Amino acid sequence: MIAFVSGGARSGKSRHAEALARAYHAQRGGRLVYLATAQARDAELSARIDRHRRQRGDDWHTLEAPLYLDTALAEVKREETVLLDCLTLWSSQWLYAGGGSDAGGEAMLTRVLDMARERRIALVVVSNDLNEGLPPTDSETWRYLAFLQRLHSLLARKADSVQEVIAGLPIEWKTAKEAIS
Amino acid sequence: MQLFIGGACSGRRALVAERFPDAVWYRLVSGEESEGWRNSLGSTHSLIVTGWADWLDSAIGEVADDEVIRARWRELLSALGRAETDEAMTVVLILDEMGRGIIPMAPAQRRLRDLNGWLVQDSVAVCEAVWYVRHGLMQRLEGSG
Repeated sequence: MIAFVSGGARSGKSRHAEALARAYHAQRGGRLVYLATAQARDAELSARIDRHRRQRGDDWHTLEAPLYLDTALAEVKREETVLLDCLTLWSSQWLYAGGGSDAGGEAMLTRVLDMARERRIALVVVSNDLNEGLPPTDSETWRYLAFLQRLHSLLARKADSVQEVIAGLPIEWKTAKEAIS
Repeated sequence: MQLFIGGACSGRRALVAERFPDAVWYRLVSGEESEGWRNSLGSTHSLIVTGWADWLDSAIGEVADDEVIRARWRELLSALGRAETDEAMTVVLILDEMGRGIIPMAPAQRRLRDLNGWLVQDSVAVCEAVWYVRHGLMQRLEGSG
């Protein structure tokens, strides 16, 4: 089961995605894994990460994956449940901190989705909808937006469930044929 | 006419290309009064019209009065509608959703965003089908079938 959850800033997307992951986990057992893309680079980020961790509760096993999502996912066992939060931050780190290529980023995401599929991992991916404001006026922002949108389209195509979150409430764009698989 | 609306890089082109494989694509030329699309008539069953945001951006640079710009696109939409009937073809408009971010600081950008929103609303009024495209998926907002 692969689910893609996105929305605007403070739309409640992470909270909704957490609830979704918990629902999958309740059916499956194993660990509830939080695949964190954020790194505590300064005190503000560290406090933010701690706050999120407290909100989620302590029953999550956290794996950090600022760049190599595939290496982190390799530590997850068959049929466990993973919440990846969030793809937007990962995509900027991939391009700018890691100096990765667009094609390399797409290949990484494809590998992660294939791994989840093969090992029957329930994977919930969270991301931000950034493309419905005024189009960028500089080429680097265009490049970033186009990269993120390619990841989103790839994910939407491969996911079983695609949900847009507004005010904490999900709108179904693609509905899984069976709730748990 | 049909309208496909979505944000930047939302996957509209790929979906339109899939649904209208033999279409002629026409990109509006900036600053032109936009009759160039007429050259494609007679050779196709569907005409895809793109480049609206650039067309608007260019008009904003030339024309101070928003109502003049609005009259221009209304005339363009009517002409496309008449051509669709006369030539028994389908006209497809690809338009941008750009109204969901922070209000821009620059007046020209605010104007672009406002005019684009009105262009979308005027287009919806003359289209039988409206599709909203998001991350390569689409939902029908108006029309049936």
